[in-house]
Amino acid sequence: MADLSHGPADAPAHHQLTGIDSRKLGMWVFLSSEFLFFGALINNYLLFKGRDFGPGALYPVELYDIPFTSISSFVLLMSSLTMVLAHSALARGDQDQTKTWLFATALLGTVFVSGQFFEFGEFILHGLKLNINPAASAFYMLTGFHGLHVVLGILMLLVLAFKSMRTGGLSEAEGLNVELVGLYWHFVDIIWIVIFVLVYLIQ
Amino acid sequence: MAGGAHHHPQPRQYVSIAIVLAVLTAAEVGLFYLEAGVDAIGQSLTVPALLILSAIKFYLVVAMFMHLRFEKRLLSRFFTSGAILAGALYLITLAALGAVVLF
Repeated sequence: MADLSHGPADAPAHHQLTGIDSRKLGMWVFLSSEFLFFGALINNYLLFKGRDFGPGALYPVELYDIPFTSISSFVLLMSSLTMVLAHSALARGDQDQTKTWLFATALLGTVFVSGQFFEFGEFILHGLKLNINPAASAFYMLTGFHGLHVVLGILMLLVLAFKSMRTGGLSEAEGLNVELVGLYWHFVDIIWIVIFVLVYLIQ
Repeated sequence: MAGGAHHHPQPRQYVSIAIVLAVLTAAEVGLFYLEAGVDAIGQSLTVPALLILSAIKFYLVVAMFMHLRFEKRLLSRFFTSGAILAGALYLITLAALGAVVLF
């Protein structure tokens, strides 16, 4: 498999004593720090989900549509597959497949985010507003920030996908960008794996 | 990507991993519905089972899709130490506030 960490011969060196491209190392450190960010939001939700906010209080758990969220989770999982296939295709030098899989990943991400918007809309229609109680606020903060991460990922994917439409496709130097965006995308996926179980399935 | 980065899986293997992930997700959803229909003892078994299944999915994505299994150990150390520290920190916080019982 081609090593996408290495740029063209005339590109500035990004290697450090670790032997790992500094941009790639930076991405892994960033993702590691994101555990603290999402951990805080998950923690916040778990603290409030079991609390009693008085008679008649509405809780997110009462409105969950597990079959719908399961399909959303499946879509996001499959987007990880298309992402890794895009990376793999680029490593093989197959620009057409790279472009196809990048667009497919962005599309699946858009389906997931659309599902989240739909879910939020349904919840609000049922009266579960952001400020109705701390459990609702914690739920929207957690899933909303995750959705925001997905949207950022989609934008990065679309930039790469449109760049891949140029004559000659993505350059070797841009190959590392595919790898970095891929790492970010898979991270967003693993965070959802955790959210899906801790927030939706364990009630 | 020195240090064994040249042994990444082939597309067919990625598809196989995705199928395993889909089956594990289906098992999670199945356990969720099972949990609703069993007594307290049954529920005490389904919750750990759900956590184990999600941990397996987590590992598969990180190891195979993010290629951490094939990367230098330094990256694994960065990533796993961040995950373990965050997990431990929040578990202790939840225990201190009475949201979970550790022992």
